[in-house]
Amino acid sequence: MKYSFPYLGNVMVYKKIFEMFDYEVVVPPRPTQKTIDLGTKYSPEFACFPYKMLMGNYIEACERGAQIIVSSGGHGPCRAGFYGELHERTLRQMGFDVELIIFDSIRRDLWGDLSKFFRLKGKNSFRKIISATRIVLRMLKDLDYFDKKIHTMMPYEVVKGSFVKAFEEITKNYEKCWTMKETVKAFEMGEELLRSIEIEKVEERDRIRIGVVGEIFVVIESSINMDIENTLCSFGCEAERSQYLGEWVDHNFFGKGREKEILKMGEDYIKIIIGGHAKQNVGHIVDYSKRGFDGVVHLMPFACLPELVSQSVIPKISETYGIPVLTLAIDEQTGKANNMTRIEAFVDLIRNSKRRASA
Amino acid sequence: MKIGIPRALLHYYYSPFWVSFFEELGVEVVFSGSTDKKTVDLGVGISVPEICVPIKIFNGHVLKLLNTDVDYVFIPRMASIEKGKYFCPKFMGLPDMAKHSIPDIGGRLLTMDVQTRSENIATPEMYYSLADRLGVSEKQIRLACKAGARNFKRFLKLCIEGRTVSEAFEALKVPDGQAKPPVKIDGLKIGLLGYVYDVYDEFVSMDVTGRLRQLGVGVLTFEMLSRQELSRYVRKMKKSLFWTFSDKLLGAAYKMFRERTVDGVIHVTAFGCGPDSFLGKLLEIESEDSGIPFMTVRIDEHTGENHLQTRVEAFVDMLKRRNRTTGGESL
Repeated sequence: MKYSFPYLGNVMVYKKIFEMFDYEVVVPPRPTQKTIDLGTKYSPEFACFPYKMLMGNYIEACERGAQIIVSSGGHGPCRAGFYGELHERTLRQMGFDVELIIFDSIRRDLWGDLSKFFRLKGKNSFRKIISATRIVLRMLKDLDYFDKKIHTMMPYEVVKGSFVKAFEEITKNYEKCWTMKETVKAFEMGEELLRSIEIEKVEERDRIRIGVVGEIFVVIESSINMDIENTLCSFGCEAERSQYLGEWVDHNFFGKGREKEILKMGEDYIKIIIGGHAKQNVGHIVDYSKRGFDGVVHLMPFACLPELVSQSVIPKISETYGIPVLTLAIDEQTGKANNMTRIEAFVDLIRNSKRRASA
Repeated sequence: MKIGIPRALLHYYYSPFWVSFFEELGVEVVFSGSTDKKTVDLGVGISVPEICVPIKIFNGHVLKLLNTDVDYVFIPRMASIEKGKYFCPKFMGLPDMAKHSIPDIGGRLLTMDVQTRSENIATPEMYYSLADRLGVSEKQIRLACKAGARNFKRFLKLCIEGRTVSEAFEALKVPDGQAKPPVKIDGLKIGLLGYVYDVYDEFVSMDVTGRLRQLGVGVLTFEMLSRQELSRYVRKMKKSLFWTFSDKLLGAAYKMFRERTVDGVIHVTAFGCGPDSFLGKLLEIESEDSGIPFMTVRIDEHTGENHLQTRVEAFVDMLKRRNRTTGGESL
């Protein structure tokens, strides 16, 4: 059996966990125009963008021989909870013999999820699973850490592109790890590598920090969000996302992290959880403004249901906290120039008003 | 005291409850009048561009009410009326959007959370939060809930007898037993699927039910089916659609397609409706499997009515010709 998964964020980690369980893995190719075209062709016209992208993703994985696709689901009220059902039907209709294993919320369907877990577990011992999970979780968190750290340094690099290269190398180092010891070593090597990169000294008042919030898919997956963090860095800003995979896992499986606090901050604007990450996002905007960030980029897939609600309340938050927010809707039209111009203008505005304030 | 209810969204389903509820509490209820071009324009002016038409229309109605002398505009948060099922996220965030995006609404926003397990939304605890602002006691609220539930039950019964929502609203105005009997048309029968706020808003649907009947076609909608009929097929799905009304529509569609109770199905949907993008796909698959013709009519804020008339007529003509050549059997 060949296993596959959606392409979201750092897929090396997913590949790793399947390989640790001795499964054959098909890594879907990084989404390209072709992926999006394929996905759009086989999706309902008004389906949201992540649905279309995953559709294209799955088709490409199936073409490469994937027989089982493992993904996470949900239970509404956002459309993402129903993705799996429609994806599977469509793939079958197209003639692929593929099965989707979707993990929904544990609270909703404990037995269903447990049986799926045991299917995936196969002959592997619990001991092996626990140790593999621990290693992979560590990797996930380390990579998040580097990801975060790099984007606070990248705008000041002396040699352009050194941090992008460094992150690639760090990922490669982790790919070679099979034990905890090696993983710890890889972390030290990564730190060493970052220390060796030359950066310019920049005064605190000249630094611009931008937060990136929005629907988890378009926030995390760089191939469809115009590589937003690197783009912001190239305009001379530090960037931080509201979503990292490690934090997602921490919150959803272990109930850890800052999510509770963030939700509290969003409560004034969206009272209950309305699906997706709408409430978290408004909370994050409040959080960013309290932490002294200079601006927020809000990414949403075109016509995303929960994000439309957050988009409606954002002008008020922006006014109350005095933090500029730029909302960008992302869909299958991949022309970048328009969004690039808007981001650049946004950054220019922030820089100017900051200069004027400090002058 | 005067409370305004926007004549949009779930007003088309729950106003029998809300009206009796508020009247029992001695509060005057006013509606915002029918949807017209001006209402839509008002709504478009303050809504996010990408949001669906029904929400834009809703915002327009809220603005219209704010321009009158009502003390409060009632915008409940529709979260859930069934276990494991919700409303579209936009319904769940409706008061939040109103509070933060409609200028000058301030203290005139009257809201509460509908989060319950029964369709008649008569759980008194949900309404206690209104007690202070309406100046009533919890006991009065309990009584008002009962009154609301009675009226709502009557409304559902009128629908199941074969009336559309607008006909049932008319019938509610006269005493029991004196209502006009439901329209009976022998001949073609078309299943009309769509959310109540799309199908019964005269601006959105341009009276599609009336048009069909003029063509001598009987209309079957989801509210004419009982709860058992609606859940007969969707119950067996591994994972059902988790939006209450989408699930009802799907249940109605499955019944129509699988029991072949109609000659054709028309799905009325609004531009940018999220749940419908998935529901539509499921209906398409079902139509292919059953061989019963299916048409989607998608409506947005600048629809002329000619296209609707043409498409509906063409669809009906096609069904009539089909019945002549095959005697009603599917091809």
